[in-house]
Amino acid sequence: MFIGAIGCEPLQLARVHLENSRTLEVYRQHGGYEALQKVLSSMSPDDVINEVKKSALRGRGGAGFPTGMKWSFVPKDSPKPKYVVCNADESEPGTFKDRYLMERDPHMLIEGMLIAAFALGAKTNYIYTRGEYRYLIDIMDVALDEARAAGLLGDKILNSNFSSEIYTHTGAGAYICGEETALLSSLEGMRGHPRMKPPFPAVSGLYACPTVVNNVETLTAVPDIIKMGGEAYQKLGTEKSGGTKVWSVSGHVNRPGVYELPMGYDDMEKFIMEDCGGMLNGRQLKAVIPGGSSVYIMRAEQVIGKDVRMDYEGLVAGGSSVGSGGFIVMDDSVDVFESTRNLTEFYKHESCGWCTPCREGTDWLVKVFKRIAAGNGRPEDAQLMLDLCDNIEGKSFCPLGDAAAWPIQSAIKRFPEDFRKHLVRSGQNQERLDEVRLT
Amino acid sequence: MATEVIKVTINGKGFEVPKGARLIDVCRDKAFDIPSFCYYADLALQASCRMCLVRIEKMPKLQTSCTIICTDGMVVTTQSDEIEKAQRSMLEFLLANHPLDCPVCDRGGECELQEMTFDWGGLEERFTEKKNYHPERYLSPIVANDPQRCILCKRCTRVCDEWMGEDAIEAGGRGANTVIGTYGGWLDCSQCGNCIEVCPTGTLLDGTYRHQARPWELSQTVSTCNYCSDGCQMSLGSRSGDLMRVVARDRYVNGLNGEFLCIKGRFGHPFVNHEERIRMPLIRYKKGGKLIPATWDEAIRHVARKLDEVADAHGPNSIGVVGSPRITNEANYLLYKFATELVGTTNYTTTDAFSLRPFFDNLGGPLATHRDIRYAKTIVLIGGEPEELQPLTGKQMRQAVRNGAANLIIFNSRRIRMVEQAAQFIHILPGTEDAVVLALADKSHDKLGTKQTGIDDGLFETVRQAIADTQGDVVIMFSGELSPEAQALIAQLPQSLRSDERRVLLHPLPLYNNSVGALDMGMMDTGTSAAQMLDAVGAPVRAMYVVGSFLPNQLHNRQAALSKLDFLVVQELFETDTTAFADVVLPAASYAEIDGTFTNNDGFVQRVRQSIPPVHQSKPDWMITAQIAIELEMNFGFELSASAVFREIADRIPAYAGLRYPVLKDETSPVQAKYKITDSRDLSTELTTLRQRVEAMAGSGEKLSEIPKVGHELFKIGTLTDKVPQFHLLASGNPRPETVRVSPLYQITVDAQLVNSES
Amino acid sequence: MSQLLQIQPLSQPVDIGDEVASFSPEVEKEIDRHLAKYPVPRSGILPLMFIVQRERGYLDPPGVAYLANRLRLRITDIWEVATFYSMLNTKPVGRYHVQICKTLSCKIMGEPGITEHVCNKLGIKPGETTTDGKFTVSLVECLGSCGTAPMFQVDFDYHENLTPQKVDQILDSLT
Ligand SMILES: Cc1cc2nc3c(=O)[nH]c(=O)nc-3n(C[C@H](O)[C@H](O)[C@H](O)COP(=O)(O)O)c2cc1C
Ligand code: SF4
Ligand code: FES
Repeated sequence: MFIGAIGCEPLQLARVHLENSRTLEVYRQHGGYEALQKVLSSMSPDDVINEVKKSALRGRGGAGFPTGMKWSFVPKDSPKPKYVVCNADESEPGTFKDRYLMERDPHMLIEGMLIAAFALGAKTNYIYTRGEYRYLIDIMDVALDEARAAGLLGDKILNSNFSSEIYTHTGAGAYICGEETALLSSLEGMRGHPRMKPPFPAVSGLYACPTVVNNVETLTAVPDIIKMGGEAYQKLGTEKSGGTKVWSVSGHVNRPGVYELPMGYDDMEKFIMEDCGGMLNGRQLKAVIPGGSSVYIMRAEQVIGKDVRMDYEGLVAGGSSVGSGGFIVMDDSVDVFESTRNLTEFYKHESCGWCTPCREGTDWLVKVFKRIAAGNGRPEDAQLMLDLCDNIEGKSFCPLGDAAAWPIQSAIKRFPEDFRKHLVRSGQNQERLDEVRLT
Repeated sequence: MATEVIKVTINGKGFEVPKGARLIDVCRDKAFDIPSFCYYADLALQASCRMCLVRIEKMPKLQTSCTIICTDGMVVTTQSDEIEKAQRSMLEFLLANHPLDCPVCDRGGECELQEMTFDWGGLEERFTEKKNYHPERYLSPIVANDPQRCILCKRCTRVCDEWMGEDAIEAGGRGANTVIGTYGGWLDCSQCGNCIEVCPTGTLLDGTYRHQARPWELSQTVSTCNYCSDGCQMSLGSRSGDLMRVVARDRYVNGLNGEFLCIKGRFGHPFVNHEERIRMPLIRYKKGGKLIPATWDEAIRHVARKLDEVADAHGPNSIGVVGSPRITNEANYLLYKFATELVGTTNYTTTDAFSLRPFFDNLGGPLATHRDIRYAKTIVLIGGEPEELQPLTGKQMRQAVRNGAANLIIFNSRRIRMVEQAAQFIHILPGTEDAVVLALADKSHDKLGTKQTGIDDGLFETVRQAIADTQGDVVIMFSGELSPEAQALIAQLPQSLRSDERRVLLHPLPLYNNSVGALDMGMMDTGTSAAQMLDAVGAPVRAMYVVGSFLPNQLHNRQAALSKLDFLVVQELFETDTTAFADVVLPAASYAEIDGTFTNNDGFVQRVRQSIPPVHQSKPDWMITAQIAIELEMNFGFELSASAVFREIADRIPAYAGLRYPVLKDETSPVQAKYKITDSRDLSTELTTLRQRVEAMAGSGEKLSEIPKVGHELFKIGTLTDKVPQFHLLASGNPRPETVRVSPLYQITVDAQLVNSES
Repeated sequence: MSQLLQIQPLSQPVDIGDEVASFSPEVEKEIDRHLAKYPVPRSGILPLMFIVQRERGYLDPPGVAYLANRLRLRITDIWEVATFYSMLNTKPVGRYHVQICKTLSCKIMGEPGITEHVCNKLGIKPGETTTDGKFTVSLVECLGSCGTAPMFQVDFDYHENLTPQKVDQILDSLT
């Protein structure tokens, strides 16, 4: 599996190939904790937030919310304790970048979290890691012990007046716990149901205290932002999305892996065909899901010769979005009906069951897929599925419902032939399928 | 402080609403219907059913109106094609896995899901897949459960947690596999049945009424509960002379308790049509002989003659008249009249466990209503165990703490369950409640109080400070542990503790549905207790007229007294330890069969309404008394109307002045009796006596550390609950049956032994 | 009376009983370490559940009773959490839990073949446990190995880029 940067100097992946890259020693030899030193010796919390704002860093967890802005929502004058929580729940199908960031460079995350904690005045911080990544929790625990022993964590960090602790916490198998409010419910020891927003976590989050939840990659970007300055970081990417982005590439390419690209990397076709080593076994590209399972699926025609820029705006223009950067490439052996069914089963399995449309809608959709797959499709099924998606989208309690609807909506719209195939197989009249309005 | 008013526009019309109002409430208040399942006033927001969607200008997507607080200038649309599609689709989703078994569902006819479906009409069934399956089962002897019908609105889990503080029922599983249930599939809780009540569908069902009747066959009668002093309003559902069930569903009744009832109120009614009810008057012609059926005329004549004989021979004080805290004001009033005007005896009382006479005589502040308790800022509970004995009060306290951040302070010799909600639990030695009152009434006794109650120094001062720091209402509650002097002092506490920004309200915790009313009617004026009355048998008391029965502890070691009586007449529903000694037993009608009033611990005078005709030959208690009086040549003149009795009560008893049945008609706005509030009474003698009492306390002993078990009072078998088999199961520890798919009742023998399905 | 229906297996564990699990001082220390992380004991519920599961095979009634005592929660609180998360077992599982990822990237990179191979080799279907109680096979959702698909996890160990030969090697090495 490939791991490295393309089109830019590696930032996030700068140390991944070094021997013993996990150790504090190696991390420090390569500039580790300099940013923290700089922050503690010469910056105020507001300075830090300003640098992050200037960097145009957008959250890498999927929603892409500007990180500096999120940090500035935390009330300065609140007497309550504040928390920084790292979202390492990484469960979006097709996404595995956080895993390698933590596995290869755990101290980068610790440094990023400490800088965030300094900016927000947090004394206690948690890394919420999905339960399946047990070995990463062990790695993080070792790294945290190292940092503590070196005076980089805990009381009076680097002999400054700043004290802050970081603890690891484990999930136990629930995709929904990646959603930030569900994550907080889970961290409080409850079922992982999302909570109402407002109040937003920045105001009332963990234990009803101001809390910032950030993705691993978001936090690991922070040390570099401090070191090179927000502006320089932003310039690596585009005006609206600064810096670099780490993509997880899987599926039918010759070189799947973890790729760090500058934001706005030009273009997606080149990325697949050259950087990722081209299509596996020389087959034809059929579809790309560029940002994890929750984004619109793209047809090869939307990629080939279309010059799709790989950043937030570019991907929206290209007909999808960055999401979590889980880049799944599919060749012409894939039946998009089946791949969509696979994802719908995922959402059904992971729906927390709180709200009606997501709980019942995903259950229903899976049953329809199953019926069609068993040869009992009906021409009106495509329309039925679209309508069910429409009834889920925008009505669910949290975005998981939307995320379940989008793959289906885009798949039916962009790959009608794959759906038609299944409905026709059942020997029913196919004309009506052509009438299906797919917008 | 006037609440600020803001403007909102709903469907093109402008309205002024108070700032902070919730959109769904505003819309409904302005008669714009908003469908919903999960929204339930005063419970934690859930926003999960997604039925209540509306469009709000400048907001993306449809919004759930249950979660939106109105802001000035908000423009809302509640009806449009888009909204209707969304709402219909939510309903369609809910129906997808919902079985279509309305014809055999107990909730059919009063099911919110069914009604909504009918209202929308034209719902095409597009779901043709296999429905998810969960087997039906029992969760306890009284909670039946059909998980397939569940729409996961979680009202049940929220009332269990927020109202009852029990959290016995919860959602398990995830996604489409979410099921409401409990660990091990068995409910160990106080069995209040509120989860059943608030369930909008037929998922949680009354196990005692299962497959007994359809809702539309029942006639619904609003009445008052006949168990504890909280006076919950309920709807009695009857069918051709049988009381089938009791509910508090808001479509039928909206009293002070909302949809809340406890196990006794909701499930304790089957005694009404029980086969062991006394069917006709009975006369024991010879001491030690048998009770022989008689006609009413015969029996009344017999009673009159006997009472007359005894009074003639030994004077009026030889007749003892015993009323009851269970019977109506009307019945107690006529007994009072019978005793004082007809017989002229000074020997009358009730069978209540304790008298609140000294409290009411010295009342120094208003009684708290249950609503006041819910919104109180500080609550001080001295003794008692409301979660078992006055469950509605318990619920209001819990909500005050949970939803209103009230400060609950508990003085108790036991670690009662309510302690979980308390900000401060002050664990006192058993029997030292008086010392608490003494210290609170006069701070110079802090030291004495601290010593005798065995608590840490300075606690009385912190409690006093907590009261002094309160802005809003303080409610002081107490129960039967207090001596008469302590009652008098506690009654006057409001005088010293209240201030301009602080009301101090009192909430006594008597035990019975009409404890307060029986007192108001004058039946406790003599200061004699039932036990003292029994001790007076022989001299002067030689004959007794008892309505109801003596309590077991009153009768304990005193049965001999009853057998010594020249004559004993008892009005009862069932044969009891008291009727065992009776010379005449007269069949009384139960609360479901009569009209009348009960007065609760808020001082609310509430109606009792007839739901079914008196069973067998029974008659309302007051009517029997009036007939005996006629036979004794005094016609009270009320003919056949309880309302006429009540008019006289209102005319004679100052606190009830001006009340009439029509005034008391609307259970949604109950009327409080106007008790005289006496300002600054000199209680120095009481204080001295109380001090001496406290000084004389043993001042040692052990604090009780055991947590009383849920239901230890609620499930206790009394004369009435004895007639409900489910209570026997609960009293025997609520054993989990062999199979939860069959009613637990079919799995026990008559002596409550579990049947083994293997045998 | 022998006509009474038998209990249908509910999605719930059996009666709780009176027994409470106990653990060695080392395990207790580990538990203390976890609880020390949080201002509220309840937050420790997931880490503690994993410990109980490790020590006792699954969340058995005595283990659940232990958790309730230790975290000062009601049994229902334990139950509602335990049944929400897919990694927590309220029923016994095999000594080795083979969890094959079946989500999209693995699916298109050969998961079906791997599942078939594993099942044939062990003679069970997904969701089942071998009669000797050694293996349980489950199909699970994305485990974050999409770039190294197909894959499975045996308990907490990742095995990636699987081929039938590799599967044989791995399963054979488990004793
Ligand atoms: C259903 C769902 C699953 C999510 N899963 C993850 C996840 O696994 N990891 C993550 O970092 N963010 C996830 N998110 C996004 C988080 O809610 C949140 O936006 C993010 O943690 C914020 O961090 P960021 O601003 O650094 O991106 C998820 C969101 C949803 C709605
Ligand atoms: S959309 Fe609803 S059911 Fe689905 S995960 Fe979010 S809250 Fe839970
Ligand atoms: S009432 Fe608003 S979502 Fe249910």
